[in-house]
Amino acid sequence: MKEIKVNIFEQIGSSAAVSSEDGELLYNRIAKGLKEKEVKVILDFINIELITSTFLNAAIGQLYNEYDSPFLRERLKVENMTGEDLELLKKVVERAKEYFKNKATMDASIKEALGDE
Amino acid sequence: MQFEFPQNISSDFGGYDTLVDLSNKISDIYFEDIPLDFSKTKWFDANLTAVLGAILSGSQDMLNDIKIKGVSEKIKVLLSRNHFLSHFGGLKIPDYYDTTIKYRKFKITEGKLFEDYLDSELLSKEAMPDMSVLLRKKINKSILEIFQNAVIHGHCNNIFSCGQYFRTKKRLDFTIVDLGKTIKTNVTEYVKNDLSGEDAIKWAVAEGNTTKCGQIPGGLGLSLICEFLRKNSGKIQIVSANGYWEQKSDNESSNVFSSSFPGTIVNLEFNIADQGHYCLSSEIDGDNIF
Repeated sequence: MKEIKVNIFEQIGSSAAVSSEDGELLYNRIAKGLKEKEVKVILDFINIELITSTFLNAAIGQLYNEYDSPFLRERLKVENMTGEDLELLKKVVERAKEYFKNKATMDASIKEALGDE
Repeated sequence: MQFEFPQNISSDFGGYDTLVDLSNKISDIYFEDIPLDFSKTKWFDANLTAVLGAILSGSQDMLNDIKIKGVSEKIKVLLSRNHFLSHFGGLKIPDYYDTTIKYRKFKITEGKLFEDYLDSELLSKEAMPDMSVLLRKKINKSILEIFQNAVIHGHCNNIFSCGQYFRTKKRLDFTIVDLGKTIKTNVTEYVKNDLSGEDAIKWAVAEGNTTKCGQIPGGLGLSLICEFLRKNSGKIQIVSANGYWEQKSDNESSNVFSSSFPGTIVNLEFNIADQGHYCLSSEIDGDNIF
């Protein structure tokens, strides 16, 4: 499988991956790569010092709207991410799966949570 | 119309109540002089100039002339040092103590400028030597998340910010304000249920809850900040519409103002003396993260 490396630092021009706007740009680049057959997209976070959940939601979270876990495990990889940021990414991924899994269930759980207060 | 400030304006319910009251009293005034009388005021938390600035900026848009008067020398120095008064006809003076994070007004498109501001005003300050690298990073990340939240949810034009390092208490307060769509309006529209201002804030800070309904998920930023501030023994206060919510260490409390603030105020208070290592809850396998 051919590997395409995306250097996040080069992509956003900053050591801080913060905004939804920058995340969206990265999402577009990942999505373009994933549309090609036999391509693995490597996200290289080298020189990135700070990442927010806002950025990761836009860049990676929204991939779960189109792709499932087995597909993304095979076709997407992160490199040079600190343990702390991996933990954040894990939370973003789990949240995105939940968000897209069943919106109707989500809406019901929101209503239930409100009823509990 | 003249507004008289009380003796103390601190980052607490009473302090915010004064500012919410000011906001309401001047909101309908157009093309007039508005004297703000500080002659009774002995204390003003410098970070709250972000709130005052947002209110006065809105009033200047209504062609009002703001006249700040009766300010004691001590408060004048404080408000000049953080450059607040320079926005309202006063002077800028240097901050030799290096404890202020200057008052600034940003357009919502100026995210990169906000990052540079944080970098120069906060991360490079030598007056805060006790912070570990990790703590600085977590503080920076929390503030940037709040800025992004205002951009995404506030649907506003400007974001106002200011911070103050309280050297003896080893606390850093940083306040971000927008005059956009309130949390109450956003949550009420999303859940299709009329919530009070304080209940809407409680809903918004709970993990997993978001008013986003498009392709980009959300619902993590605020809950992660709250989690960090619990471990840090810090504090977060949110004012939006008529709601007030606060988390101080592990304790949450809320209240209701008699009138509504036309936007959202978030004040983050960090414990700078924190030497916590923030261990990861588990080892994450990067290969199986998706």
